[in-house]
Amino acid sequence: MALEIQIPQIDAKKTGTATVKLNGSLDTATAPELERRLAPLLATSIRDLVFDLADLRFISSAGLRVFASARKAVSARGGQAPFIRMQPQIQEVFAIIQSLPGIAIFKDVAELDRYLAARQHAHDSEA
Amino acid sequence: MLELQASPKEVMRAVEALREFGVVRGIPENELFGPMLSLEECGSNIVDHALHRNERETFRVNIEYAGDLLTIELRDRGRAFDPTSLPTEPPLRADADELGGWGVRLVRRYMDEIKYRREAGENILTLTKSLSRSKNLK
Repeated sequence: MALEIQIPQIDAKKTGTATVKLNGSLDTATAPELERRLAPLLATSIRDLVFDLADLRFISSAGLRVFASARKAVSARGGQAPFIRMQPQIQEVFAIIQSLPGIAIFKDVAELDRYLAARQHAHDSEA
Repeated sequence: MLELQASPKEVMRAVEALREFGVVRGIPENELFGPMLSLEECGSNIVDHALHRNERETFRVNIEYAGDLLTIELRDRGRAFDPTSLPTEPPLRADADELGGWGVRLVRRYMDEIKYRREAGENILTLTKSLSRSKNLK
């Protein structure tokens, strides 16, 4: 099974949130391609990187390592790499590995938006 | 018995063969997820650590289903490597993987038994799972 990757075109100076959609299988054969496609995005000023996994059917530790690496990159600039719309079997893999302590998983875009809005509100209140 | 070159693409060819094997025998795809993942992890370990992605090297995969028992056997002629000797609970780290640590952890959770033996210069890894017990993850 192949992996289809949808990455938005991002202006290098843009900040905020970018959503990456994955469809198919994130495995030993396809993980390097995701890593390669994420590199230019991580080189922008994007703060949060959202992974939409609604159509991701399979994942292995090779895929988890790409997520861990992306998460580390955005964490370094104070951002997050949350996941939305995970299939149950993918969520189970995350649960077994507990590979990404403190990861945020949201059931849909609306839940994520509420979270990001609340975080922005807290940030604005501190400022 | 499938003979595969030591590359990630070939590992996924084996995983796809397992999926097709299951479809033909009426095994639900959700029951096959764990065995497919386990085959991916063990095949990747062989390709990366035993055969060093040298595509002139090959490894073999055999799949059997008898009663409710699914058996996957992987054979390679790389250096001796016993994944069952890795710690049961490898240290969990957010930004790095121990050698095969995450993969072996997944295989242990999804399969009932992992057996390793070294025989006549071959690493032989046998994974078994009773599919009727698949809902009871250890």
